[in-house]
Amino acid sequence: MASSLNKPELIVNGKRLDGRDFNELRPLKIEANVLKNAQGSAYLEWGNNRVLAAVYGPKEAMPRHTADPTKGVVKCRYSMAPFSGLGEHGRSGPNRRAIEISKVTKEVFENVIFLNEFPGSEIDVFIEILQSDGGTRAAGITAAAVALANAGIKMKDLVYAVSAGRIGDHVVLDVNMIEDNYSDADMPMAISPKNNEILLLQMDGGLDTKQLKEGMEMVIEAGKVISKVQRDALKAIYESK
Amino acid sequence: MRQFVTPGEELPNDTKRNEYVMVSNGKAYSNILGFYDSDRKDIVPLEGLWKPRIGDSVIGVVERPTKPGIYNVKLTEFVQGLIITSKFDSGPSFEENDVIEATVANVERKRLAILERPRKLAVGQTIYVKPVRIPRIIGKSETMVSQISRLTGARIIIGRNGIIWLNGGNVALAIEAIKKVEREAHTSGLTEKIKSMLEAEV
Repeated sequence: MASSLNKPELIVNGKRLDGRDFNELRPLKIEANVLKNAQGSAYLEWGNNRVLAAVYGPKEAMPRHTADPTKGVVKCRYSMAPFSGLGEHGRSGPNRRAIEISKVTKEVFENVIFLNEFPGSEIDVFIEILQSDGGTRAAGITAAAVALANAGIKMKDLVYAVSAGRIGDHVVLDVNMIEDNYSDADMPMAISPKNNEILLLQMDGGLDTKQLKEGMEMVIEAGKVISKVQRDALKAIYESK
Repeated sequence: MRQFVTPGEELPNDTKRNEYVMVSNGKAYSNILGFYDSDRKDIVPLEGLWKPRIGDSVIGVVERPTKPGIYNVKLTEFVQGLIITSKFDSGPSFEENDVIEATVANVERKRLAILERPRKLAVGQTIYVKPVRIPRIIGKSETMVSQISRLTGARIIIGRNGIIWLNGGNVALAIEAIKKVEREAHTSGLTEKIKSMLEAEV
């Protein structure tokens, strides 16, 4: 477990444990339209993270009392597969952490989907973490955005998410599991790349103003790469045929 | 020239304003996955949902009747159809699971389509396709569907909501052709491809 007593050396010779630079992303790969029954779907590999996202709807909101007659509602279910982690996150089902992540993910997409187009109905977003290695909420949002676009749901933007963190005095990008457990700060952000609006910002640990700014700049810079991978994944559906 | 666009991608400013184009700060953005056609300066959606419009001809399945003379019709997951027969002189009656063809007379709250001129369809096959592909399946001045119908001998009725009804002739081949159009809707020269495919089979 994370504790300051047995903290490993996270930066060796100016490189991180997995050999990355401070502002380097893990390798990212997305494939869209992988599930036949879903309206839209995406499979994402981000470092050792494996995420499957599926979108259903819009359909009649069930149970009926959740429906809003003026606009649609987004329902999001983030869930970690029982075999996804190395023990501590290995329980499946809606635990406290999963409920929190489902809620923040839902709020990200409520801000980009044209909900007033779908009064009285719901859009279901399912995010299943098959294998986790830190930054799964960011990976889930990035995959779900592709799935939503694949479902043909009108959106203002294709959202991406990535986390920044701090190890000692260094601000780092895209923290993985071991860095997340032992680092001094972890800050996942979801951004709408069109105008760099921030849709999600959470933080564990602490950053000063300068480090926060540096982290945000890193995230926005990395977003260009992530957005391109997302767009290429969507494009590939129509190129292979 | 056709160019692939994703939600949030900036478009040239002279793009035709339609429901798939969003303007903010004087710039035009796409809000759907689709193609930008630079000749027509228009967005063609690749994925999307059917929005009922007055005059659309649709095919649906009658649901269990709750009140006499009023029928709920399932059109899509999102849109419900409603037939009020007392408005009609003859008062046609339907049973649960009847497949009907009708025209949208009015749209209420975006997801309730009031239907008129309902007609029960005889025994046949219904298939589901993506509603955004329907214009391609119909073709310019119905060239595509009339070609499939002519070469396979099948009767084809198309609902704008993404349900297609077929009967008679070589239905299996007609379905195969329609599914091919659905899959390859974004490619050009499709009418010729379908023609050669059907002629090789027949």
